[in-house]
Amino acid sequence: MYKILEKKEVAMRNVWYKVHAPHVARKVQPGQFVIVRAFKNGERIPLTPIMWDREEGWITLMTFIRGKTTMRMANELKVGDELLNVAGPLGNPAEMKKLGRVLAIGAYTGIVEVYPIARAWQEIGNDVTTLHVTFEPMVVMKEDFEKAVGRHIVEPVPMDMTKDMRENMKNVTKRLTEKVRELLETEHFDFVFMVGPTGDQKAVFQVVKEFGIPMEADLHPIMVDGTGMCGSCRVTVGGEVKFACIDGPGFDAYKVAWDELIARTGYYTDMEMLAMQEYMKALQGGEQ
Amino acid sequence: MAVKRKIIKERVPTPERPVEERVKSFVEVNLGYTFELAVKEAERCLQCPYDYAPCIKGCPVHINIPGFISKLVQYRDDPHRAVKEALNVIWACNSLPATTGRVCPQEDQCEMNCVMGKVGDKINIGKLERFVADYARENGIEDELLFEIVPKIEKKGQSVAIIGAGPAGLTAAGELARLGYDVTIYEALHEPGGVLMYGIPEFRLPKDIVESEIAKLKRLGVRILTDHIVGRTVTVEELLQEYDAVFIGSGAGTPRLINAPGINLNGIYTANEFLTRVNLMKAYLFPEYDTPVKVGKRVVVIGAGNTAMDAARSARRFGAEVIIAYRRGEDDVSAREEEVEHAKEEGVKFEFFVNPVEFIGDEKGNLKAVKFERMRPIEERDKRGKRKIVGTGEYVTIEADTVIIAIGKHPNRLIINTPGLKVERGRIVVDENLMTSIPGVFAGGDAIRGEATVILAMGDGRRAAKAIHEYLTRKREENA
Repeated sequence: MYKILEKKEVAMRNVWYKVHAPHVARKVQPGQFVIVRAFKNGERIPLTPIMWDREEGWITLMTFIRGKTTMRMANELKVGDELLNVAGPLGNPAEMKKLGRVLAIGAYTGIVEVYPIARAWQEIGNDVTTLHVTFEPMVVMKEDFEKAVGRHIVEPVPMDMTKDMRENMKNVTKRLTEKVRELLETEHFDFVFMVGPTGDQKAVFQVVKEFGIPMEADLHPIMVDGTGMCGSCRVTVGGEVKFACIDGPGFDAYKVAWDELIARTGYYTDMEMLAMQEYMKALQGGEQ
Repeated sequence: MAVKRKIIKERVPTPERPVEERVKSFVEVNLGYTFELAVKEAERCLQCPYDYAPCIKGCPVHINIPGFISKLVQYRDDPHRAVKEALNVIWACNSLPATTGRVCPQEDQCEMNCVMGKVGDKINIGKLERFVADYARENGIEDELLFEIVPKIEKKGQSVAIIGAGPAGLTAAGELARLGYDVTIYEALHEPGGVLMYGIPEFRLPKDIVESEIAKLKRLGVRILTDHIVGRTVTVEELLQEYDAVFIGSGAGTPRLINAPGINLNGIYTANEFLTRVNLMKAYLFPEYDTPVKVGKRVVVIGAGNTAMDAARSARRFGAEVIIAYRRGEDDVSAREEEVEHAKEEGVKFEFFVNPVEFIGDEKGNLKAVKFERMRPIEERDKRGKRKIVGTGEYVTIEADTVIIAIGKHPNRLIINTPGLKVERGRIVVDENLMTSIPGVFAGGDAIRGEATVILAMGDGRRAAKAIHEYLTRKREENA
């Protein structure tokens, strides 16, 4: 099993874990992910190793608390506890090649998945600019990025407490697309890369497309096994059905059937809400 | 005066859970024999001699069937001894009898050849095998036998890596451990068992039974590493440096899809995904278990093999109306008779000679109907002897909010990409000893067959274990 060596809430709703997983640490490359199962009755969730030490056998992961599983992990797991399963590394490593001037974008916690790739691209001689757009209290890894890449831009969006989450998230999307447009209009980039919610990826892609710059996106469809067995994560790319887990997770943004992917990603939202409500009820019941 | 043997033509039936009860739960349908019933059924066996017994010839792992059945009759006054002796006979060829007794297609194998079939009902070999395994497990007999076997194992000082903890891998592991090799299984999922865990539903094969079969292997010294994906976490080449031999039993994990518009609409599951959510992740217990599954009001299952029956019967248990749609006719259904019967009893409807051509969705990307072309059979036969079918140009649309595609699988792509490994049409090529093109690397089960049954995979596991044993014995002698 996989011991939690360190754990901390590094920003609002962003929880960072350092986990002993030598079999992953030994092999993982930028762009790959792991599947974590934290509890006996838990889901298998894909997470991306951000940093690792091959010798010491650890990896670090970040979760964004958005559903029952990530909330339970934040609430119930302590340092010294163990994750039941960390399977991987899975997926194809990001291609390591000379891309020139790269704009690597992360929305919300997506930025942490950009980190290993952006850093590796910078190391092999690319000029990497990273852009992080998120809510103000959710900014993470600012210093790490500043050390790792040529330039790191943080665009924090204030949270309007009088409005609901969906309205607030629209502001993030707006700032994201505006900033990308501004950067592409004023500077030259050879390549754009992005991780974040599928809707935001599509919105950014539509801006990038106007400039005709090549763009890759790491996709996050719903996954179960992550090894090419279930077909849950299928996505149409260039008219062909691909499995994000073994054909991806990186795909040419110009070829992705975005609307289909957005629909598939939202398929269980109602059930996720239900699971969350049940969990909250149980928590409140337990406190009485 | 010689005792004249009385022939009892009718099978002793096994009790089953009533239909109205079982369509509401995932509890096992067949309740199995009691000792008394098992003996009664065992007495019907004509005890064909070992060299002749057609049942043994029909069994891919050649279990001495009359041999184990006779023990039940011989020691009928001592159930403990009867079962222990019977289990010992079975274990000589099959280390997972609780599983095979439940999921083997006996009617096409051992039971198909049973001589009793000429005068009456064939012997219920599957249920007798299952009885022996269950009774032994529940009454500590299995433990007793293991306790006797384990200390006698002579360590060979050589090690074998096994890829995949499914039927082929588990069987090979059990055999090799008993021969004294250090065995390590590499399993990608979080639970060992492969298709036994993710694919076959609880109501046909309870998961605690699979778990106990695996616990038994661990007692034989087998080490199991879950979460290790060969091809990613570790490669075949790396395993070959660390171990003296490698066995690939990675199965056929990649689902086949239908090349029709709308295949990625919400509500269209592969059987693998649907069954994995339901069985492995226990989605039928959502939200107590966190993994959801959506089963609509109307479910169409495409395909007519055992997997299709499993998916259809699982969907029924969520309260859905379920239709199995098959492009051929009833005679070509490849699922076991018992599964088809159970499905019908549980209210699954069948639609034959329909081939899906389009999946129709609503504006939100959710499935709402499937358009099929009506097919008709022609006299010409295909390679497997099945009548060919042709389209009629007539179409029928069936409303559905869930579709489960159960039309087969391909071997997993991660392992077949190993450099130097000869692969044809996605399947690993092996010689008569199940050795691949890489010396010391063996393969079996669905990885070489495409898609077959649990018992054929187990047969391969057993054959491979024998071949690995011979290979490693030669290696030992060369080094001595």
